[in-house]
Amino acid sequence: MEKEELRIGVFVCKCGSNIAGYLDVEALDEYASALPNVVFTQWNLYTCSDVGLDEIKKGIKEQNLNRVVVASCSPRTHEPLFRSICAEAELNPYLFEMVNIRDQCSWVHMNEREPAMAKARDLIRMGVAKAALLEPQEIITSEVEVRALVIGGGIAGLTAATSLANRGFPVILLEKEKELGGMLRSLNRLAPMDVDASEVISKKIKEAEDHPNIDVYTGAAIDKVEGFIGKFDVTFSANGTTKDVRLGVVIIATGAGNLVPEGMYQYDGQKVITQWELEEKLKIGKIDGNNVVMIQCVGARSAERQYCSRICCAVAIKNAILIKQMNPAAKVYILYRDIMAYGVENEEELRKAKQLGVRFVKYDPERPPVVEEDKVTVFHHLMGKELELPQDMVVLSTPLIASEDAVKIANLFRVTLDENKFFLEAHVKLRPLDCATDGIFLCGSAHYPKDVRESILQALGAASRASIPLAQGEIKIEPIISTFVDRDACRGCGLCVALCPYGALEIEETDEGRKANIITVACKGCGVCAATCFRHALGINSFTDEQIQAQIHGFLAA
Amino acid sequence: MSKDILVIGGGIAGMQASLDLADMGLQVHMVEKLPCIGGKMAQLDKTFPTNDCAM
Amino acid sequence: MEKVTGSNGDFAVTVRKKARYVDEDLCTGCGACAEKCPTTVPDEFNMGLGKRKAIYKYYTQGIPSTFCIDAVHCRTFQKGKKCGVCEKICQAKAIDYKQEDKILELKVGAIVLAVGYDLFDAAKLPEYGYGRITNVINALEFERLLSASGPTEGHVERLSDLRDHELIHSGEKKLKKATKTLGKYEKKHKKSSADFYKEFTAGNISDGDEFAKWAKQYESVQEATKKLEALKAKAEKFDVATRLAFIQCVGSRDFRFNKYCSSYCCMHSIKEAMIAKDHEARTDAYIFNMDLRTVGKGFEEYKVRGAEKTGLNYVRGRVAEITQDENENPIIWYEETTSQTPKSLTVDLAILAVACEAPKGIEKIAEMVGVELDHNRFFKTDPLNPLDTTVPGIFVCGCAQGPMDIPESVAQASSAASRAAEAVAGKA
Ligand SMILES: Cc1cc2nc3c(=O)[nH]c(=O)nc-3n(C[C@H](O)[C@H](O)[C@H](O)COP(=O)(O)OP(=O)(O)OC[C@H]3O[C@@H](n4cnc5c(N)ncnc54)[C@H](O)[C@@H]3O)c2cc1C
Ligand SMILES: Cc1cc2nc3c(=O)[nH]c(=O)nc-3n(C[C@H](O)[C@H](O)[C@H](O)COP(=O)(O)OP(=O)(O)OC[C@H]3O[C@@H](n4cnc5c(N)ncnc54)[C@H](O)[C@@H]3O)c2cc1C
Ligand code: SF4
Ligand code: SF4
Repeated sequence: MEKEELRIGVFVCKCGSNIAGYLDVEALDEYASALPNVVFTQWNLYTCSDVGLDEIKKGIKEQNLNRVVVASCSPRTHEPLFRSICAEAELNPYLFEMVNIRDQCSWVHMNEREPAMAKARDLIRMGVAKAALLEPQEIITSEVEVRALVIGGGIAGLTAATSLANRGFPVILLEKEKELGGMLRSLNRLAPMDVDASEVISKKIKEAEDHPNIDVYTGAAIDKVEGFIGKFDVTFSANGTTKDVRLGVVIIATGAGNLVPEGMYQYDGQKVITQWELEEKLKIGKIDGNNVVMIQCVGARSAERQYCSRICCAVAIKNAILIKQMNPAAKVYILYRDIMAYGVENEEELRKAKQLGVRFVKYDPERPPVVEEDKVTVFHHLMGKELELPQDMVVLSTPLIASEDAVKIANLFRVTLDENKFFLEAHVKLRPLDCATDGIFLCGSAHYPKDVRESILQALGAASRASIPLAQGEIKIEPIISTFVDRDACRGCGLCVALCPYGALEIEETDEGRKANIITVACKGCGVCAATCFRHALGINSFTDEQIQAQIHGFLAA
Repeated sequence: MSKDILVIGGGIAGMQASLDLADMGLQVHMVEKLPCIGGKMAQLDKTFPTNDCAM
Repeated sequence: MEKVTGSNGDFAVTVRKKARYVDEDLCTGCGACAEKCPTTVPDEFNMGLGKRKAIYKYYTQGIPSTFCIDAVHCRTFQKGKKCGVCEKICQAKAIDYKQEDKILELKVGAIVLAVGYDLFDAAKLPEYGYGRITNVINALEFERLLSASGPTEGHVERLSDLRDHELIHSGEKKLKKATKTLGKYEKKHKKSSADFYKEFTAGNISDGDEFAKWAKQYESVQEATKKLEALKAKAEKFDVATRLAFIQCVGSRDFRFNKYCSSYCCMHSIKEAMIAKDHEARTDAYIFNMDLRTVGKGFEEYKVRGAEKTGLNYVRGRVAEITQDENENPIIWYEETTSQTPKSLTVDLAILAVACEAPKGIEKIAEMVGVELDHNRFFKTDPLNPLDTTVPGIFVCGCAQGPMDIPESVAQASSAASRAAEAVAGKA
């Protein structure tokens, strides 16, 4: 194809006095008009105002501009706007280049006018040089299979599945055990609402099982996962049969496990038990003896497991109250480091326990309690003296630990785990329910130890996040992503595949030999692959080596 | 019967709820009593547990 | 919001959109108007620690990024005063003093309440001296001191020093003016004020109105100069505040005020202490707590890092009282629980981790939409349906439901979105 003649238009913005107060915008306009391929220039009071935008459109139409450069403020805030204006004037929006002479010149060099002007001239010259090499790009769209997969049938998984189903989305729910329900099946009563755990969970199970939009598979195991957001192809087996399904989104709700404190504090599962085992005893109402000592942070907040398991203080308080209510004569001690009765209800429960006569003793991790045949010795950190507590039963509060399946699930779906093997969110504060891999969400104690209320909350939140691609039906992807600039050069070494943080590259056998393949929907355009590829086979659209070199040459051409 | 949703308060919670709803394709009206949205979080310098900027 | 009627799936809501007196479509946010506006008022965004103009943006990166006029302070809106400066300055012609409040009628299927929280007013707790002792501040005020976009550009200074700086500044201005007046007399009578005053007090100058005034003026200038010098001598000693005490559970876990734990304050005090230490390595920070509640993902690790890497001091014990010494430095009185002895610690700033309370006006909103509040004044929910208020179709998220940190607020917001979407799908 014959190269069309380049017709670059440059618009320089005064931004009121933000730029014009420090830079001579009219002089920059004149400077730009003398640059190669520039056929039209103009300065505006505010390029982003309706008047300014109309001028760009007019320029494209009347001057037949085929590249537009705006020298103004930050692309972070204004690039999308200017791009859309180009599109309105029927110019491909990716034939637009932005130069930031406000933040980078007039703001940071307020008191050095001449150097600021020189820098603005440099930046404009570089922008124009790059614009000459810009290529049109098209927004990529990819369809989304309107169906969700929820892995794990505990309170979190059940809640997420039901919420999506209520919104009309079909859901497949996989549970590896024979029965749905997760930990709640085995628990006694739930704090702080003081309700029966099995009642809560049976209601949820029924709701999910009866829902026309939910397909439940128990005794299920996932064998294979391929694809990406919108098109995950999952193979799983359940009760002897194997199934292949395509799904748009995935919610991970595989829960957590309980630490068995082998070798700690004389643990034997009989007289020295865990809270988990105590729940079983409380369920059948069988507690022997009057003297109960609970020890907190067993295997938690320690060198080998630094995290705090969040729920065990509340669990100990709950069970101490239940014991006192069953047998007011019982002596219940809770040996703790910090009592994590955070929030409104937990603090209320703590107060209730104290009122019922549960004793709290702060111990120092440097001098942990010692469990013997029928007593526990502890150094009271606040009273500064040793106490000897008689015991008929010792209950160890052990942390929730990552589910045994976490690693397997993480590998299958190419998502990340944190240092404790819980699933890692994309951003602690801004995207707490998303995995870094698009289309995969997490909730419940698979993410971190949580109580039921918090698991329900997160599950509904994950359902909200997961419903977005389902509701949109397709995903739109900015085309500024990895691309082959020279496919022949690729030798299929796989360096890029290993380094891509988003799993957007793979190696495939082709007629021309081993080649990298770019999974465009997964690519975020970070540029790691382009920077690593020593064969210069890969580049990033709108940031190709050629374009960046043109900018550098432009800079040096002063 | 309307499918629009009203969100009262434009702090981090109100903003996130509105964003999710709008992304689902629903029309959201967000009401904030102050001249700018952002709530308390905008007043924070950096935020735990990552100590990154609150903005 | 003014009025709500209807029920689940079908609410009618009346909203008053307050006039900004600046056309949002025309304003480009350039700020030329605020630069020239003659009216300065304390800035609520900076907790009153800084100043803003009567035409302002609530904060620099605020959205919308357009300006608005605070009619309560603006000269044009106060009867009898002519100003109109911003109208003249604005090149975009965005100023519109005649803009009126707009009443919007909305029809919605569901409502999400995300009205957040307010801080406990520490002045209610007389023993900590907040409001009385200048260098006792609350944690949000401290956030502004730490912020590079705050009133001190991130330098942690004692509030008394900030106040003195301000006094020196205004004192210098006044003195300059007064000296100018003296200059006028001197020129007229061709005599230095000092000489004149000597003669005047010796009775060598016959009485006259003007001379009496001159003498008085001279006296007050002398006085002001002396005061200013004293202040400046004091200011010589100013430095960044390096000894910091963080007091936990102020208004939380306290029978007199809020019985509950505000859940995020242990973490924000550790954070603030870490950042202060980051800004100024000499910082010595003490966090006085009953328990340090760090229960979120990565929080315990954060706390350990704060002690081991940053060198923060976690002191177990409830602070009994805060007094101040002759340099306005707060003195923290506490019982060291491990040794059970009363102790004191003198610091530059005491920072109160004040409780998270339901926001002012929540009763009004609750009444308007017809939902119930719990006994702590937060919107009432049930732990098994943690987003549903007592009215179907109305949901709550963030601190309006109870104290929580940002990760939880964001997660809850998404969950509320789910419930609201279920509601308009006819399924909640
Ligand atoms: C002793 C104890 C007492 C407690 N007391 C209370 C209380 O009083 N109040 C309260 O609010 N909370 C309490 N909790 C916490 C409560 O148990 C959790 O909040 C809740 O179980 C979390 O739900 P979940 O769905 O995230 O995980 P889980 O309940 O663990 O459910 C996860 C489900 O996923 C399944 N799964 C795992 N891997 C796979 C896989 N690969 N494929 C398919 N399915 C898989 C599991 O089989 C399980 O059914 C207590 C916890 C313990 C240990
Ligand atoms: C000093 C301090 C430091 C903190 N540091 C951290 C930290 O580092 N990390 C962290 O995770 N958390 C931190 N937090 C907690 C954090 O501030 C909250 O979790 C978060 O701001 C809650 O957001 P929200 O949206 O619920 O409330 P808000 O931020 O209070 O937002 C509520 C919004 O609703 C508006 N509103 C109120 N009433 C009405 C009405 N009637 N009509 C319309 N609008 C209304 C308000 O103006 C406000 O904009 C800190 C808190 C404090 C006090
Ligand atoms: S919740 Fe309590 S018992 Fe559990 S790890 Fe944290 S401090 Fe220890
Ligand atoms: S989070 Fe810490 S400071 Fe805040 S109320 Fe709870 S225990 Fe007290």
